[in-house]
Amino acid sequence: MTVPCPWYECDSRFIAAHQQPATLIELCLSRGIDSHRLLRGTGLFVEDVPKADTLISPAQFLTLIENAERLLGADDSSFLFGQRLLPGHNGAASQALALANNLQQALELLGELRALLSPLLSPRLLLEDQHAYLYWLDSCGAGSQQRFLLEANMTAVVAMSRRLGGEHLPWQCHFRQAPPRYIEQYWVNLGEDLHFNRPYNLLRLPREYLTQPWPQTIQSTAQVACQQARQQLQQLGTQASLLDTLQRWLLRHVRQAPNLEHAAAAFAMSPATLKRKLHKHGTSYQEQHDQIRMLVALYLYQLKGYSNDEVAAHLRFSDATNLRRSFKRWTGLAPSALLALLRG
Amino acid sequence: MKSLLHHHRLKLTALFLAANLGLLLHLAAGSLKAVADWVWLDIVGEGGSTVLALVWLGLILKSRPAGRVTNLLAIGLSCVFFSWWIDLLDEFIRLPDSITWDHWLESAPMPVGLLFLTYGMYHWHHEQLAISQQMEKRERLFREHRLFDKLTPLGGADYLRKQLELSLQQSAREQQPLSLVVVDINGFDRINQRFGHDEGDRVLQAMTQLLLLNLRQQDLLCRLAGDRFVVLLPNTGETLAAQLAGELREAVGHLAHKSRQHGERVQLSATVASVMALQENPENLLQRLNLALAKAKRPLALSA
Repeated sequence: MTVPCPWYECDSRFIAAHQQPATLIELCLSRGIDSHRLLRGTGLFVEDVPKADTLISPAQFLTLIENAERLLGADDSSFLFGQRLLPGHNGAASQALALANNLQQALELLGELRALLSPLLSPRLLLEDQHAYLYWLDSCGAGSQQRFLLEANMTAVVAMSRRLGGEHLPWQCHFRQAPPRYIEQYWVNLGEDLHFNRPYNLLRLPREYLTQPWPQTIQSTAQVACQQARQQLQQLGTQASLLDTLQRWLLRHVRQAPNLEHAAAAFAMSPATLKRKLHKHGTSYQEQHDQIRMLVALYLYQLKGYSNDEVAAHLRFSDATNLRRSFKRWTGLAPSALLALLRG
Repeated sequence: MKSLLHHHRLKLTALFLAANLGLLLHLAAGSLKAVADWVWLDIVGEGGSTVLALVWLGLILKSRPAGRVTNLLAIGLSCVFFSWWIDLLDEFIRLPDSITWDHWLESAPMPVGLLFLTYGMYHWHHEQLAISQQMEKRERLFREHRLFDKLTPLGGADYLRKQLELSLQQSAREQQPLSLVVVDINGFDRINQRFGHDEGDRVLQAMTQLLLLNLRQQDLLCRLAGDRFVVLLPNTGETLAAQLAGELREAVGHLAHKSRQHGERVQLSATVASVMALQENPENLLQRLNLALAKAKRPLALSA
């Protein structure tokens, strides 16, 4: 049950400043923002940004995003940033994305290379009979920047699929938040099929669009780029954040209903240390566990058509009543009510 | 700050010299009052007024381009400042009773300054009318610079919502139709990719100018988001709105925008849609407009 590979935390310096952070900085500078005010509190200096060896931590990147959002003071900041994110300018990883055979390969790469391409919000791809689902979970404790990150990352995927595939795809977007005041930005950047107040943040697409071949593929170059990106990831020595690793571990062991002690043992640290580390990322074991159990429950209800009793048994609840009570705590609604809402 | 000093060096130097001259004259003719004799209320009141006059002068010089109206306002405010400054000196320096020129120095500049100010403001009013004419089709009914998008510059979505609310009320009151047209650039992302985001910004600015030229005097152009523009058409029914939308689409297709870097033509085209307002709220109307645009775009997506 142990977790083999090391992870990064919100204060690990591994994000190349000249890649995604530089994209955001350039965007701000092109809008006339003062560079000193932009970098205040980030521990980063303008002259260090273009250097290849300048690395910043997720926490520093989040501070940069917070500053950018405040100084730009516009509703479209996250979307403009998102449009520039993918395939982006992240060396081999971006090249591998740009040369992918089709959308499915690109999304799988995005997941595999997430430490390079999406270090703050980890994307997961779920393939079902009818649809593909791409959902995001917070991987570094984004706090109030979560909405900005989600808007940027969703816009990035939608824009990339349009750019590389050459057509608009019928993406359906689901958000946990209520409809924002600036809904027009969502229309322009994400399309019309928007659903708010949902229990998850995800994009949905009929599966046939995933395997449509993309025109600009060059097989051999793409393979080399993939290899290089994987090497880069190995040099980084980390593939995912602590929260991301925990979420995946919880997902694998959800049927055993593991507690904090089990998780700490799997991560080879004391429960107190794990607790402290989670607290540093603005979350708790309970919150992470609930989040995963809710997603699994919804998956079983919606895609597998399980009954309350079956879901309760799967998640090791003593009975359906207990599950219903917990479910209401996670989502605010009983399973039947929420499923009716999602269907309607 | 630098450009302010540069442009108005002469005016500011003259004011500085005059203020100093006043001070020197007072020092030469009178004697300093003891601290015990200072009247704090007067000092705070008159000193505050003097500082404020200087702030007004700075704001006027900084926020306006140099020119006749600016000069009139600056002279007026300088006189007001000078008058209050001399008044303030009285609080610190006692002049012998035999001296009367200080009354002249204190009282004469004030009416002169106020006359200059009044004359300047009158011309400012005319200047503002001329500028408002340039803002035609960009603003209606009310002004709120904080709701303006900095790039184009047009009113943003929030400005449009506020305008819609007022216009919907107005159209219901006057029993007149109200329509909206949306203009969306096709393949704007491709332009950004091929020519860079800076060129994309310039395309948006060029589009703004072009659309404004093609509108009637009473119409209002706003930038909804990204490459999507909305035109508010008061007293306009469905047929006319559709016709105007078609004209805007053709105008965009005929715009021969050149990129800054190589001067090559950026091919532009747009999808348009129009809706007429029913008895509904702004949010609903915008939603309907957006769906109409999505419908208009669909055959395009299938053919691409």
